[in-house]
Amino acid sequence: MRYEIRVDGQMTETLAKAFPELDHVIMSGQTLLFGPVVDEAQLYGLLARCQSLGLHVLEMRQMPE
Amino acid sequence: MMAVLDENGPEPATPHADPRGNPLLRTQFVIPARPATFLRRERLDEHLDEALLTPLTVVDGAAGAGKTLLVADWAAARDRRVAWLTARLAGKGCGTFWAYLLQALRLADVTLSGDIGTPAEPGHVDDALLTRLAGELSARDAPVVVAIDDYDQATDPEIADQLDFVLQQAGRGMRLILVTRTEPLLPLHRYRAADAITEIKNAELAFTPREAADLLTLHGLRLPDDDIGALVNRTQGWAAGLRLCALAARGEGDPRTYLKGFEADRTTIADYLLAEVLKRQPPQTQDLLLRLSILERFSPELADALTGRTDAGLILTGLHRENAFVEYLGHGWFRFHPLFAEILRAHLRVCRPRLEPELHRRAAHWLRRSGSLDETLGHAAAADDWESAADALVDDLAIGEIFTGLRTDALSELFSRMGPEPTTPATDLVRAARHLAQCDVERGLGRLKRAERALTRQSGSSEDDGPGLAAARLSCALLEVTAARLTGSPGRAEAAARTAERLSSEVPGRRLEEHPELMALLVTHLGSARLWAGRFQDARAALTTVADSGRTAPTAHLREECLGHLALIDYLNGWAARAERKASAVAAAAGRCGPPAAPGPGLASLVLAAVAVDRNELDRAEAHLDAAADARHPLPDPLARAVHALVTGRVLLARGDTRAALEAADRAAGADVTSPWAAAHTTAVAAAAHLADGRPEMAVKLLAEEPEGEPVCLVGAVRAELAVGRTGAAIELLERVRPQGHAGPAITVRTALARAQVAGEVGDVATQRRLVARALEEARRERLRSPFLEAGPWLRALLRTVPLRGLAEGWLVPGPPSPGHPEPVQERPPLPVVQELSGRERDVLRRLAEMMSTEEIAADLYVSVNTVKTHIKSAYRKLAVNRRQDAVRRARELGLL
Repeated sequence: MRYEIRVDGQMTETLAKAFPELDHVIMSGQTLLFGPVVDEAQLYGLLARCQSLGLHVLEMRQMPE
Repeated sequence: MMAVLDENGPEPATPHADPRGNPLLRTQFVIPARPATFLRRERLDEHLDEALLTPLTVVDGAAGAGKTLLVADWAAARDRRVAWLTARLAGKGCGTFWAYLLQALRLADVTLSGDIGTPAEPGHVDDALLTRLAGELSARDAPVVVAIDDYDQATDPEIADQLDFVLQQAGRGMRLILVTRTEPLLPLHRYRAADAITEIKNAELAFTPREAADLLTLHGLRLPDDDIGALVNRTQGWAAGLRLCALAARGEGDPRTYLKGFEADRTTIADYLLAEVLKRQPPQTQDLLLRLSILERFSPELADALTGRTDAGLILTGLHRENAFVEYLGHGWFRFHPLFAEILRAHLRVCRPRLEPELHRRAAHWLRRSGSLDETLGHAAAADDWESAADALVDDLAIGEIFTGLRTDALSELFSRMGPEPTTPATDLVRAARHLAQCDVERGLGRLKRAERALTRQSGSSEDDGPGLAAARLSCALLEVTAARLTGSPGRAEAAARTAERLSSEVPGRRLEEHPELMALLVTHLGSARLWAGRFQDARAALTTVADSGRTAPTAHLREECLGHLALIDYLNGWAARAERKASAVAAAAGRCGPPAAPGPGLASLVLAAVAVDRNELDRAEAHLDAAADARHPLPDPLARAVHALVTGRVLLARGDTRAALEAADRAAGADVTSPWAAAHTTAVAAAAHLADGRPEMAVKLLAEEPEGEPVCLVGAVRAELAVGRTGAAIELLERVRPQGHAGPAITVRTALARAQVAGEVGDVATQRRLVARALEEARRERLRSPFLEAGPWLRALLRTVPLRGLAEGWLVPGPPSPGHPEPVQERPPLPVVQELSGRERDVLRRLAEMMSTEEIAADLYVSVNTVKTHIKSAYRKLAVNRRQDAVRRARELGLL
């Protein structure tokens, strides 16, 4: 499974390191985290990490392979 | 009240390096202190007051929304104490969670009786415990307010169901406040429909411009309304954002211009602000903050250990004074706001990518000296420093916790990450313990032997025969006794127990007291091994010490295990009812309530099965047998396997399946040392099967091989000799049955029946009747039916005579029809004496019931007409009837068709 998570605001390179398993790209006022997700447990783990870092998740979706 | 760090109470480890099991930490139950810059907001306090009107209150919002401080401030201002629990560390398994919650209630002066009990497993709590708790809470005059902070960390899904249950049952006796980042899994829709919930959500927690202005003022920052409005807009009233803003802007000459820059920036808020705040700190402070981010909490001394400097005290006090992100816990301990810690860790990984393991190593080292095992283990594991982790565990005499208690899951998970390296004595001991805990004796013994060899070398080579080496050796002895029990080697168990006894005086007494499970495990295994050896007195002495010990969580399981063993001793001595009482007590202790539930996996269920067989309650016996060994809990040792095999054999025998009974008896093998009683009982089952199949010579031969003295074998041998017509030999055997003072009815009844049978053979009818009468009297109290069913057909005619009939009626044979109550309704219809039909006799009987003629049956079964007639005659005899219709009716009554 591949997922992308769109969060509000531009993440700094430092903060993006908190998601070493994902790639990221910064666009106007938002950051897109994307990459392979092993299972649902990891997905919820990623969401919880967003929350712990005070990030607002705007959108999350599974990407076509 | 401030958090307390008492010297025995280790502090929690970091969440990402948490071994999950912690002793009950007092800091978990303390309402967090509010910082000087805390802003009390009336509108929220008023809303919280409504919490007392609804059973459930949920305060949910983002990290840093100010949830905890809000509820903490409200709770601290109340007259009555609020039961406070931080679920951050407590909530990983429901057993642990409820252990903590019970403690939280007691600390809040809620009187709870000791009957409620304590969960003994990390991942399990008994329904009965929750029912008792709810019952006691519902009886309260005023409700207890329970606040659970960080509820989102209570990840075990069962916790939500259980909380819902207790909350419903406790009624007006309990008010629950959940502080959480995510909506709890309780059925909120139901609470909402019933108007039974108060909800405070993110939007309500957000700061209004007015509140934001007040908060900034507390931070020493005064701004015009326009700027406040813009700031609230940018941060969406997020408490952490506003506080960080204040910190970042305060150092600026012109805060307004600075904040304009922040408003225009599009970086994520916490990210941006934290980098700003960090950038403003002097290099030593930055370094300190980054290093401390791996810790859940820290003292200046621990901080110095991580930096290698000595300035932590000053820096931390300063940081605490100026912002809310370094929180003071009291007694010299601090922690970061979780949001701050998370972001700092991200910074640490970028700035000092390879430093993290080293920091964990240093933290583990420092914590081990200060006597905090859980944290030590967590950090040592995070540093991949398994040598230190294992050393700490063994030194602490905590190796028993791998087998029993609330920490088993945590330790098993922690050490499952340890690879095949390194191979120090301590790491090998831990590996051995983990293998033995999974009943993998072979691999466990391999590791144990390696550890023992290394320890022997050490003691020879150096003067270091200190407490450290003694602790390792004591751990060795424990594992040795464990392995000896699992392999059925009583001699080895005794030797290792003696070694342990000697070593226990060389280790610090305080450690032994902190880990009662160590000696309790040792004594339990020793008792089990002695029981296997047939030394019932010595076994009882050992098992009783554990069974009589208090019901503390770490030894609760062991207590049940010992009771199960004691029950088995009673059973083997012939005291069925006593054995049943003890085995049922295990069920009660385990809290699995309501008869006829079995106590679950283990020896106690096997004993209940054995007692049920003695009463000829075969379905019940089978249910207990099934409960005794489920897939999750395979039978651990030769003892349990032997008892399982022989009870299974006796059930099959009673059902007439002699071949399967022989096979079951055959499966009992597999121990280092043969157990005398297990062998005797197994042989007795096999002999009875041969006898039932018409091979009495075979039975005689088998029983002759058994050593004398076991009543069960002698009785079997008497019957076998009589079956081959050697009355003289039977009499000779009977003379060898020594009257044993401690033998119970299950033995004496069988002996009396054997004597009665012999008396009948020699024509002494008076003695025979007297003996049968005595047997009936003794057996009636305990409803021991199977001795009479096993005795053979000779007994049946006798039981129809007065006065024996009267003694047997109502429990062994059907009672007389009483006038007015023609059909007394009985739960369990009494089973009449019937010798089991053979498979062929049953086949014939079934066809008789289908109205087939003798010729038709012969054709159907491919046998001669004469053979069918023989079977019919034999079946009539066993059913005590003379006619075809009677035979069919009787067989139906008995459920044989």
